[in-house]
Formats: sequence, C-alpha cells, structure tokens
Amino acid sequence: MEEMIRIERLEKRFGNNPPVLRGIDLAFQQGEAACIIGPSGSGKSTLLRCINLLERPSAGRVLYRGQDVALLPPQVLHARVGMVFQQFNLFENMSALNNCVAGQRKALGRSRHDSEQKALYYLEQVGMLPYRDARPRQLSGGQKQRVAIARALCMDPDVLLFDEPTSALDPEMVDEVLRVMADLRQRGLTMLIVTHEMAFARDAADRVIFMDEGLVVEDGPPGQLFTAPQNARTAAFLARSLRG
Amino acid sequence: MPTTFFGWVAFLIARYGDLFLRGAGVTMLIAGVGTVAGFAIELGVAIVRTARLSAGAGPLRRGALAAAKAMLSVYIEVFRGTPMIVQAMVVYYGALEYLGLDIPAMAAAFLVVSVNTGAYMAEIVRGGILSVDAGQKEAATAVGMTHWQAMTAVILPQAVRNIMPSVGNEFVVNIKDSSVLNVISVTELYFMSKSAAGTYWKYFEVFFITSVVYFVLTFTVTRLLRLVERRLSGGDSYTVYGSQSHTPAEIKVPLAP
Repeated sequence: MEEMIRIERLEKRFGNNPPVLRGIDLAFQQGEAACIIGPSGSGKSTLLRCINLLERPSAGRVLYRGQDVALLPPQVLHARVGMVFQQFNLFENMSALNNCVAGQRKALGRSRHDSEQKALYYLEQVGMLPYRDARPRQLSGGQKQRVAIARALCMDPDVLLFDEPTSALDPEMVDEVLRVMADLRQRGLTMLIVTHEMAFARDAADRVIFMDEGLVVEDGPPGQLFTAPQNARTAAFLARSLRG
Repeated sequence: MPTTFFGWVAFLIARYGDLFLRGAGVTMLIAGVGTVAGFAIELGVAIVRTARLSAGAGPLRRGALAAAKAMLSVYIEVFRGTPMIVQAMVVYYGALEYLGLDIPAMAAAFLVVSVNTGAYMAEIVRGGILSVDAGQKEAATAVGMTHWQAMTAVILPQAVRNIMPSVGNEFVVNIKDSSVLNVISVTELYFMSKSAAGTYWKYFEVFFITSVVYFVLTFTVTRLLRLVERRLSGGDSYTVYGSQSHTPAEIKVPLAP
C-alpha cells in the first residue's frame, strides 16, 4: 500500500485570528476512504482545502506521494488530487458534458474526442448521461453534485477530496450522491470526505477522524469510533449527532 | 432662401444630408471600434489584475506581476482622471511635435476612445468578475486550470453576460462623447454639423438635426444591445430535469474500474 497523502504539523490561521488548524499530522494510504467529522468550525474544510492548496498552510506541509504539494506544478497537483465542493460549483456557462471536458482539455491537453469519451463514460456511471447537454441551472442539487463528481473523476485523480458533498442537498437527494460515493470506494480511489452524514461515515468509511478546535481528537476504524469512542469530546459529539 | 424653421431644416437636410450621414458613420465607427477595443483591453487588464501567483513562484515573476499591476493602475487612474478632449489634444499634438509622427486624426481618435473606454470599463469588469461566485474560480483551479484558462473559459464568459448592460451604456456614452474629437478635426457628426452650420449661419436648425441624428443612433444601439443581452442570457423557458418524477437519471451501479 502506497502512502498517498501525508500531512505534517499543518497549521493554518487567517490574518490575526486564532488558528483554525493547530498542528495536524495524518497519513492516508492508497484506496483508503476516510471520513472527517467534527463540529462546525473545527477546521475540517480548511484541512481539506490546504491539501490541494486552495488555502496556503501557515506552517507545516502536505506531501502527495512523498512530494511537497507546494513544489508540484499546480496543474499536476490538481489533476491528481481532485475536489468535490459543498456548493457543487459546476461551471454555470457550460453544459454537463463540457463541465467534464473543460479540465481535461485545458489541464491535461487531451483531445476533444478523448475528453468527450471519458466524460460520457463517467456521466453514465453517475447516471447523468441523459442530461449531458443540460445547463447546471436546469439540474437539481443532487444531479449537479453527481455531475461534479463525474467532472472530478474525468481527471483520473488518485485522491478525491469531498468537502461536505451532501450538506447543501435536500434530504431526498442525499442518498443518490452517497450511493455514487460508496461505489467509488470499490475502485481503489483514495477518498477524504468531510461530512455530517454519520450513517455514511459509519457504514462506508474505512476510517473516521474526529476533529475539534483545529486538532485531530480521535482517529480510528468506524466500528471503534462509533461504538467505543476513546475521547470524551468524541463521545459527546457523537451522542449529539446520532440522536439527531 | 427658406423663411420658416422647418423650411430651413428641410433645406439643410437636402443640402447637407450626406454630410450628416457621413458624420454619423464616422461617429458610429469611432464609438464602435472604441467600445469593442476598449472592452478587449479591459478584459486583458482584468485578467492581469486578478492574477495570483502560486506559492512556488520565484521573486522574478512576483516582481514582474507587481510591476504590471502598478502600471495598469496608473493607466486606469490617469485616463479616468483626465477629460477625453484633453487626451485627444495631448496624443495628437504630442505625437506630432515630440515624436515627429503625423498620425491621421482617425487613428488618434480610435486610440484615444479605446484607451479611454478601457480605463472606464476597469471598474465595470471588476464588478462583473466579483458578481461571479468565487466557487467558480476554485472549481476551475481544482480541475487544474491556470489563471488564464479559468478566466477565459469560466469567469469572463459569465462576467461579460452580467455586465452587458454597462457595456451598452459605455457604447452610448462613446457615441455622444466622440463629439469632442472635433478638436483634432476628426470628421465625425459634430464636426460635420459645425461645418454645415457655418455656411448659412444656421446653428439652431443644424444642431436640431444633429441632435435628432444622435438620438436615433443611441436609441437604435440601445435596442440592438437589448437583443444581444437576451441572446446571451439564453431563452426564458428551459426544461428543469431535476424533479422527483423524472426517472431517466438513474444511477448505474456498480462503477466498473
């Protein structure tokens, strides 16, 4: 098993505010599906955004396959480490198909034909092939997120970061996105998922990381974390979340 | 010689009709070229002004970008902060007296109006870029696009649609303000009108005609741009696929490797 992502003493603060991340050390193996849970403001999303440099770390570093991500060409990093956003962020001026094609053409220099073949393949996999020509504004939240996942997969990433992929969805659309994500796990893709979906974390993750106040409080397999949390804060958070 | 106001108007139209038309043509040409070129200049400026270098960029690239941004700020402030009539004089006579360049008045006109429009549109385009959700840029970055690629493929197409009303406004302003170019003898509508008025000493009648021509020009342009705008924002009606009762969007599982 190759180590895909290693995070070393990562710190992040915005301006003179108290730090959002206060020294994170984590490593993720190839094919691992890890859910990161924790209360709002605990630094989960910031951690994810530091991995693909949407935020610049204040201290510490992130390694992708042993290489410092800050020293990798940005295009290479972003093709290998993809991201799915809470607000989908589909390109509003493009059809579903072109959303999946644009990155391949621009960043990977693939031909239009190859890009479209790949885009059509993944749109079919997420069940969005019938809507290849639809504009984002014509789609529901769940459909947009499925297109966004297809767009990320088209880049052939090794690692996919999910930043609260279902938090902006109506409850009845959450399942369709979670199904797609559960299926991705079978493909050996390394997935880091910030989520509030406790049932998904429990059932579909290899590993669950609980964060609070900018630190990793607990890290372990879901069976252990959910049934016998070692830390009082984890226990309190889970008691609150699972009750809801 | 006519004796009434409308008699004079009819007489002047018959006598100088083609003068007014040629003047109107030159005015539209200058305003059109100036607006389009100014718009293009400003899109380029916007791309540079919104550029952020990645963490790994060296001091040379950092310095170059900072210098470019500073120069663009100077350009915008200077051309927005001085009247176009003065810019026309400075460019035209400056080129002639200090650079020894006897540039045609039309060339100076295109240059001044384009550069002036570019400076005015700086804030309009900036507003348009701000109106595009920040997530669009992040998503473009996240699929590996460079700043240039993200701007040209994703951000600006959306920003341009949002600022079309202001661009149209700038076009109308240019139609009217190009009249100041008569100071460097550009044969646009105002210059032509002044020539026509001088002959019979009929300033009111001539400029009555002139104002009607200007109004027809601006009114037509405004209507045309409204059509373009509607084109850019797409039809009013579209199919919404994302309903629970619409079944074709089923997920095919499992995902094959």
